[in-house]
Amino acid sequence: MLHSEKRSLFRFLSIYLSSTFLLFLLATFIFYNYQKHQIIDIQNSALSIEAEHITQSLRQLNQTFTETLTYPQKEPFKSAIYNLDKSYIFGSFKPENILWAEEYYQKENRLFHIHPLFPYYLGASYIVISKEINPKPIEHLLKMSILFLFIAGIFFTLLGLFLGKLFIAPMKESIEQMNKFIEDTTHEFNTPISTILTNIELIETMYNCEGKEELKRIEIASKTLSRLYEDLTYLKLNHNYHREIKSLNVSKLLEDRIEYFNTLVESKKLKVIQNIEPNIIFDIDKNDAIRLIDNILSNAIKYNKKEGELYITLSEKNLKVKNAGLGIKKEDIHLIQNRFRRANSSEGGFGIGLDIISQVVERYGFKFTIDSTYNKNTEVNIQWKK
Amino acid sequence: MEKIIIKSFLINAFLIMTITAETNNIVEKNCLACHSQQKIPSELIYRRYLLKYSTHKNIKKRLLEYLKNPKKESSIMPKQFFLKFPQKKALDLNDTTLSTSIDAYLNYYDVKKKLVLP
Repeated sequence: MLHSEKRSLFRFLSIYLSSTFLLFLLATFIFYNYQKHQIIDIQNSALSIEAEHITQSLRQLNQTFTETLTYPQKEPFKSAIYNLDKSYIFGSFKPENILWAEEYYQKENRLFHIHPLFPYYLGASYIVISKEINPKPIEHLLKMSILFLFIAGIFFTLLGLFLGKLFIAPMKESIEQMNKFIEDTTHEFNTPISTILTNIELIETMYNCEGKEELKRIEIASKTLSRLYEDLTYLKLNHNYHREIKSLNVSKLLEDRIEYFNTLVESKKLKVIQNIEPNIIFDIDKNDAIRLIDNILSNAIKYNKKEGELYITLSEKNLKVKNAGLGIKKEDIHLIQNRFRRANSSEGGFGIGLDIISQVVERYGFKFTIDSTYNKNTEVNIQWKK
Repeated sequence: MEKIIIKSFLINAFLIMTITAETNNIVEKNCLACHSQQKIPSELIYRRYLLKYSTHKNIKKRLLEYLKNPKKESSIMPKQFFLKFPQKKALDLNDTTLSTSIDAYLNYYDVKKKLVLP
């Protein structure tokens, strides 16, 4: 599976599963609360029934004239009777801070019910009856809700995977077709470009022919094609390419690449001002480093004015390439930065040079900044460490 | 220390006994003297008041009104009750004595004292 496919599938699954999970969580929460209230209501009705029993007992006691009157008490209920002024008369418990305005209420782990009485048997105007909440049905309900969420989670994950693969199938086919096309095309490019470049070198060294300027132009054009080939191959193989990340002398590599671009620099009569610290070494794949440097240098040369200046600075901290060229308008800088951000999220659809720079920068955790004054200069800065 | 506790306990017990005895005396003198003689069920009357008025405060207010001006119409007891028992005459007691007597009566039959847990 391609990296972009994985990412698309992951994104789809994230959105699909998170929204489904949230929906189910909400539904389960509402269901759980509704059922919990039902359970509490059932337990409250037991309080109400017991309050009626106590009322009947109080009615009988009111007509009893013995030395002692035995208060009706039945476990697990606790009750107390209060007169019209809500003063305590008697009971098997004496609750504090009674919520007289409520008919039923819950306090800590107990349920309370205030049962009004009339007539006032033994002077009792209210029976306050209470019992501990039976937690077993609620615990069972919670377990079942979690189990339901878990099973629904598994089911919807599997469904999501199936749907995701179904949705990305056309995209996968398109990518494969495009890759095949690029692969075929680039393969066809390689041999003629190599032949042209080799033969130019041969002509330059073996024959003292006229038309050296024309030869240089052919060399520049061929090198441009060669770089394009390298870039396309890099993008094509980027996801499957096995990187060999090891200590690389970036100073040396930068000097080599400047040398490689010499023909192009000479053709534009640019003045190259180098400030390269020697032996800047860090861990990076050589091909990644070449693609990064080549694309920066190539753009800096391409968009420089004739006989302009090209500043190349390399230090432990960064690589700065500044040209004295056309510059970029402020709004265009925003556009490039936005494209760069889009490039980081692999949206594509623009210059492959910027795409390659963004991929290398993202892979190694570098920081890319671009600063430009219109009609004056442009400076690209790659900071090695964030 | 122990002596002090025992002393205070004894004093308290003595005071309670004295007050209870005094209450009983008042009720027996001002209420039961006639009620017992005429076999009028005092506790039944108390319970009927309790059934209707719930608090001793409310009962006292009603009793006070009734004892000052007793009428069959304003009695807590049903009319049939007076077929068997005579209509009460107004008591010749001042307000303070009447109030003390009612308090003693209510205290004498107080259900709180009778209620027990099984």
